[in-house]
Amino acid sequence: MTRWGLLIGVLAAVVLLSLTVGVRPVSLAEAWRALTAPDLTNPDHIVVLSIRLPRIVAGLICGAALGTAGMAMQVLTRNPLADPGVLGVNAGAAFAVTLGSLLLQRADAGFLAYLAFPGAAAATVAVFSLGGGFRGDASPVRLTLAGAALNALLVSLVSAVVLMRGDTLEVVRFWVVGSLADAGARPIAAMAMAAGGGLALLFALAPRIESLALGAALSRGLGTHPGRVQAGVLVSVTLLTGAAVALAGPIAFLGLMAPPIARKIVGAALRPGLVASALLGAVVLLFADTLGRLVFAPAEIRAGVMTALVGGPAFVLIARRLSPGGTS
Amino acid sequence: MMRALGLAGLLFAVAALALTAGQVHLDAAALWQGITGGDGPGALTIRILRGPRVAVGLGAGAALGLSGAIFQSLLRNPLASPDVMGFTAGSGLAILASITAGLSLPMPLVAAAGGLATAVLVAILARPPGGARGVEGTPALTLVLVGIGVGFTTASVGSFLMTRLSGPQAAEAHRWLAGSLSARDWGHGLQIALIGGLFALVLVPQVRALKLLELGPELAAGLGLRVRRARVLLAATGVGLAAAAVAVVGPVAFVALMAPPVGARLSGARGAGGRLAAAAAAGAIIVVLADLVARASLPGLQLPIGVMTGILGAPYLLWRLSREMERGEL
Repeated sequence: MTRWGLLIGVLAAVVLLSLTVGVRPVSLAEAWRALTAPDLTNPDHIVVLSIRLPRIVAGLICGAALGTAGMAMQVLTRNPLADPGVLGVNAGAAFAVTLGSLLLQRADAGFLAYLAFPGAAAATVAVFSLGGGFRGDASPVRLTLAGAALNALLVSLVSAVVLMRGDTLEVVRFWVVGSLADAGARPIAAMAMAAGGGLALLFALAPRIESLALGAALSRGLGTHPGRVQAGVLVSVTLLTGAAVALAGPIAFLGLMAPPIARKIVGAALRPGLVASALLGAVVLLFADTLGRLVFAPAEIRAGVMTALVGGPAFVLIARRLSPGGTS
Repeated sequence: MMRALGLAGLLFAVAALALTAGQVHLDAAALWQGITGGDGPGALTIRILRGPRVAVGLGAGAALGLSGAIFQSLLRNPLASPDVMGFTAGSGLAILASITAGLSLPMPLVAAAGGLATAVLVAILARPPGGARGVEGTPALTLVLVGIGVGFTTASVGSFLMTRLSGPQAAEAHRWLAGSLSARDWGHGLQIALIGGLFALVLVPQVRALKLLELGPELAAGLGLRVRRARVLLAATGVGLAAAAVAVVGPVAFVALMAPPVGARLSGARGAGGRLAAAAAAGAIIVVLADLVARASLPGLQLPIGVMTGILGAPYLLWRLSREMERGEL
């Protein structure tokens, strides 16, 4: 399986790159020593262990989570533009975090992270029901517009909250641009478990999602309960997106870009597609993060901006192909 | 005709309400005294505080309404409007970029340049693959989708720029980006009146072209219209109107989207010219009313109007979407 080898090789290369380059370059040998025999008086070791390693771990979790969440949404809705960012799920999580920070007067990341889940859940349910996803007849245009409208509404609400309390702007303006920079301060282990749970659920549901994608009537004939499968996908998308937002803030377009490339590499079957999408999501996010650290060093371009700069054009490219006649 | 007069009456009533209601309530006598040049609390409120605010709101709302009506007629799609297609976001980004770079360029020019550049970008990006372009042109929904994509990218570049600003600068930029009518003076009012009025004048001779284009491009071409040229001119006028409004109030969301259908419903206007006028009136009403609700609903807390129109407009867009769906257009 050379394609898998290639994917894993690229991921390993990006991880090593992210571990070694930066404002303070660290040699590979030194990085290896930091991991195996850490010496806490050596500044190189401290950089590797306390700054770069958490970023890499968070990037792997977050990238994999967004890549697979995008894949699940795209297959379920048959919408190549589906992505947790585009459909407003990220914004829902961000809104919940902002509102929570205001109402509960707490700004510690470990606590705020958990608010991302109810926000993501509410936004997922809202966008699917508004876009007609539950009836199984959501056209890509409709779902995307519903997502854009929901996104606009949530952004307005976040704005209202921010303007009520000036000090929340200091939290929010750095938070709404997705970044791995603060990953060390966020609950990585708990979010890894949430994302893992979402991924496992998605994996278990994969054959039924594929049968649902054939259309509601046909899948019912094959013995699938559309409602239950959709509920399962919503739960896993919530877990995956919530974990990603909790670790890195709202990062858009990863879930848009990874699935089509994954399909090109490993074919149309869902399970291998999910794995490839997870690997690709992690590669893109880590690469974006590393590049963002290098371009204007010592200043950083946040990973969310880097993915948007690549993902925005990708969205436009897909949208152009989508609707030559005005409808999907 | 009666309904058109009703719309004009509503516009007048909303403007009068916006002038009298607020933290300090004025009665009709004080209002009249203030307008006719007497002294007292009325004069201060009218001349310095609420007068310019209401004037700017009326002008910007009318410009946004006109712009939305042009695009919705031109593309024959109720979802096409400069805010949904990302043009106002482009204007906003241009202004944010000039704040970040510390340039002291005139804001209207920056806003217009940003909006125009975004419009051209969306038009180019949305062109069908292969470059084959008949009279039918680019499908409206492709423009809308591409515009949403461009809008997402602009928004994320904008939030990146926000992280580069100092705390007070960021607060200022954030308030500006949400769209606001606070601290507007008569200079802003003059600016939107002159520039918006200029574009409205440019629009007058184009009403016939718009009417023909609504019949469909083939028929319009058959009746002797130079379709491509008329389209480009109308689109440029629409972008100019939107940019003129953004320059004075910021990228206020969804007014351009909502005003044309609301105006048509209220006035009952059928013809192209009547619907344009109704959209302008409805846009002015929406902006002034939203501003009134925003500043009077929560005492001591002045929400910017853009937040208000966003909270009202997004559900409208969703409702519109479900209507379009039921009619089988999407």
